[in-house]
Amino acid sequence: MRHGILKPDIQLGGDIMHRVMTALGVTALALSMATVAAAEDRTVKIAGFGAKSGVVRSFGINTEAVMQAAAEQINANGGVKLADGSVGMIEVTFDDDRCNAEEGISVIRRIASTDAIVGVGPTCSNVAEPLFGILQGSVDDAGDSGLQFPIFTDTAIKGGLAKISDWAFRNVPNESEMYRSLFEWLQSEHPDAKTVYGGVEEDFAHSRFTWYNVMKPRSDEAGYEVKGESKWLLNDTNFTTQVREMRRAEADIIAISAHPFTTCGVLKEMARQRVKPMILVGLTSSSSLETLNGCAEQAEGIIIPTSFAPVTDAAQAAADAAAAKGGSADLHSAAAWEIMMTLKDVIENAGVMAKPDTVEADRRAIRDGLAALNEAEGLLGKIQRTDEGEAIKPYVFVFADEGAWKVLHDPGS
Amino acid sequence: MDFYYGMAQLIGVHTLLGLSAYVVLLTGQVSMAQAGFFAIGAYLGGMLTVLSDWHIVPAMLLAAVATALVAAIVGFPALRVKGLMLVVATLAFGEAVRLFWFNFDYQVAKGDIQVGPLGGEGFKQIRFFPENGWTTGEVALFIWFWVVLVMLALWWMDRSRAGAVLRAVGEDELAAQSVGINLTSVKVAAMGAGGFIAGLGGAIYAHYTTHIEHSNFGVVLATFAIAYPILGGLSNVLGTLIAVIFIQGVLVEALRFLGDWRNLLFGALIVLAMNVRPDGLFDARVTRLLKRLLGFKADA
Amino acid sequence: MEDFWWNVLDTAQSILDGLMFGSIYALIGIGFTLIFGVMHKINLAYAAASIGGAYASLVVYVHLDAPALLVFLSAALASGLIGFLVYLCCFRFIPTERPLATLMSSVGMLIFIDEVVVHVTAGFPEPYPAIFDDVMLVIGPFWIRGDLLLIFGLSIVAMLVLLYVLYRTQLGIATRAVAQQPVAAQLCGISRETTNGLTFVISGMLGGLAGAMIGASVGVLSPLLALPLTVKGLIVTVIGGLGSIPGAIVAGLLVGAFENVFQFFRGVTERDMYVMLLLFFFLVVRPQGIFGRVSTRD
Repeated sequence: MRHGILKPDIQLGGDIMHRVMTALGVTALALSMATVAAAEDRTVKIAGFGAKSGVVRSFGINTEAVMQAAAEQINANGGVKLADGSVGMIEVTFDDDRCNAEEGISVIRRIASTDAIVGVGPTCSNVAEPLFGILQGSVDDAGDSGLQFPIFTDTAIKGGLAKISDWAFRNVPNESEMYRSLFEWLQSEHPDAKTVYGGVEEDFAHSRFTWYNVMKPRSDEAGYEVKGESKWLLNDTNFTTQVREMRRAEADIIAISAHPFTTCGVLKEMARQRVKPMILVGLTSSSSLETLNGCAEQAEGIIIPTSFAPVTDAAQAAADAAAAKGGSADLHSAAAWEIMMTLKDVIENAGVMAKPDTVEADRRAIRDGLAALNEAEGLLGKIQRTDEGEAIKPYVFVFADEGAWKVLHDPGS
Repeated sequence: MDFYYGMAQLIGVHTLLGLSAYVVLLTGQVSMAQAGFFAIGAYLGGMLTVLSDWHIVPAMLLAAVATALVAAIVGFPALRVKGLMLVVATLAFGEAVRLFWFNFDYQVAKGDIQVGPLGGEGFKQIRFFPENGWTTGEVALFIWFWVVLVMLALWWMDRSRAGAVLRAVGEDELAAQSVGINLTSVKVAAMGAGGFIAGLGGAIYAHYTTHIEHSNFGVVLATFAIAYPILGGLSNVLGTLIAVIFIQGVLVEALRFLGDWRNLLFGALIVLAMNVRPDGLFDARVTRLLKRLLGFKADA
Repeated sequence: MEDFWWNVLDTAQSILDGLMFGSIYALIGIGFTLIFGVMHKINLAYAAASIGGAYASLVVYVHLDAPALLVFLSAALASGLIGFLVYLCCFRFIPTERPLATLMSSVGMLIFIDEVVVHVTAGFPEPYPAIFDDVMLVIGPFWIRGDLLLIFGLSIVAMLVLLYVLYRTQLGIATRAVAQQPVAAQLCGISRETTNGLTFVISGMLGGLAGAMIGASVGVLSPLLALPLTVKGLIVTVIGGLGSIPGAIVAGLLVGAFENVFQFFRGVTERDMYVMLLLFFFLVVRPQGIFGRVSTRD
């Protein structure tokens, strides 16, 4: 077969044909070269990391699923626009830090040595605190040799961590605000409830902090009499003494600041000792599938404030997308979805180039972009961002009803 | 490069942890208390630099000395307990130390914030390194200076009479006694030395993670502490180092690409290693080989 | 005066609750001590294997909707199997003169079993069946949990069965023979390997029952259970005397009771410190344990 330009019989026609063909050929060549240029690797690498081992394994699984789902959606809708007008596709990686501080630090150093431009994680507060500690404290502080890599946290929720470093940002709910609102609402809804008694997991930073620094003072401020608290440890198996104390306290509201395992243990013991308070309040983290899996019957009616429930179309869509990737959307992993969407906007506005030689500049640009944010789009409504890098998120109150979490009250409506 | 410096730091600190158990293991005592001593070094070292504004070197040395004293005191009742009962007793002691720090509050106001250990919430903002502009590479060098020092000291001790005495006690106590070795002083000295090394390592640990809490120093760390010298073999300090590199470098980091399988392989490979090389990766045969290669006279 | 009376009652209640829980510790202690008695080794993977067996029995619970007793039985059987696996992987092929190697390999096994459980369940707490878990016997001022009473009873039965096996059956005689004089036993034609393997199976079954009992008493199984159970089990074994079954029983009940009393008086954060002090007290006053014999040259 003869290649090349067609040579028709008629000389004149052939001449024109020749020119048209050449023109077409050149155009085709030019177009293909343009496509090749655009297809040059401009991937925006977002590195997720969290716990995929131990009792918190489900958190890592969910965050990874959500990040993959979000990346897929963003890429399907045309990727992210980069500073020079070209388009970048998002690529997500996920590393397991096993909820261990040293490993978390190794993971972030490893991520920082690749061309990832932002990190999403960690899961555990006891990893987040040391991790933020090795970041550069104040940006542009030449005397501070800390790592310069932006981290946007989805899950680690212990209060006040983002202010440790200018490179640390969090999209976690503000428990102080949520419980303040919850107790005030409970006051108006159930005026006959006057007393509160607490149950607290003492040896886990988050649950301990939340009872003493959030639930207790907020309920007191809302006008309740706090009668005291019962304590146990993260892996305790015997709650007879603690529930006996609860029984004696005869409080109207029992607030349990503990994670699913001990929450279920305590609830089952309460059922045995016939302790039935008017209202049961739980810890934010326990508004997940784990609690319902362990003790749906005993947890019936427990009220928990949460920053995620599939009450809006966007939230439902995110939940479905996560499920399609093998994870579930709860207040922690849904935060990762919001983070991905926020990062897309920040990347587009901050002038990120996503080239191998612009990695440091890109990271700085993202950090500055995140720091400058006053507001971000959340699944339940607008999220306010504070100067410290924390988030003030819209929330709803859910309760356990027939083995599922249902919305009890939406304070935003 | 930062990542490799970070790995070097981690391997260095864990080598110190392993060596603290190694020196005690030489006398035949399996001590699960090293994580507890590590914790004492960490909290004391951190408190000295954060609350009293000390430089890290005097802080870690004082912390190490204090830890050595505590360890020596523990050494005395440990004499009454033999073999596997000692494992449990030291495990319990280590847990008791962890629980002590769990209950320990000592906060001091610095400017407008409170600093210091706060029981269950831990001890945060131990930022001597970043605040003084130490780069990751400098910290790694600093850590390895001490690791090499300790390794050289132990190596030198092993080639001297002290090493022979320690190992004699480890091999057969009755025979050692019958040649006039004072069991009490040897065992307590070994405990003290182990405590010193653990205290040193712990103080460094607190500073390179910047935040410590009681749960860092539990049974898992205590198990790692004895895993390193057992896996590495007791004939040589290098064994412990190799084991740390094997566990932290290979099993934890290098196998990351295996994703979820990494965690399953972790336990399985340890079982395999102990079945295949029950004397450790660096056993007596390898030591002899190494000595011959390096030109030392091969001992019997 | 009223307060004082309440305190006495509460202390008594704490002791009661603790004793019943202690029966679970006793089972675990027996398992540790059995292995030690026969092989002079510690199997650190024991508690993890027990919990692992309880998890395995969930299959029967969830898919076959079996009654609770059957689930407990399958937990025991599964743990017996896992126990044999542990024997093969950690003790069979490592020379007996290497106690450190067996210790370490059992640690590796502990980590492995834990990871398998976490992978299969994604770390979720899994509900576990119980018998009489809504029964509360109120005798005067005392509340006694019906399910704990049953657990206590089941544990006693298990211990009696074990003692029967050890003292009235061929297997038991073989086990004790290998424990006392391994060489002489071999000369009598008793296979050390078979006896050791069977010991692991028996202790595994006891452990599986203990795991099931813990699941039943808490109501949920969690991977969090393995490590604390290992520590408590070891403490019970040492207090009772390494190698002594009656010692493990008494020590288990003792630790259970004291633990609860410490918690009642000093709170949960200091409770475990006092349990450690209890151990140290025993080690100082009676290092061989309650029923152990003073050991001579190894």
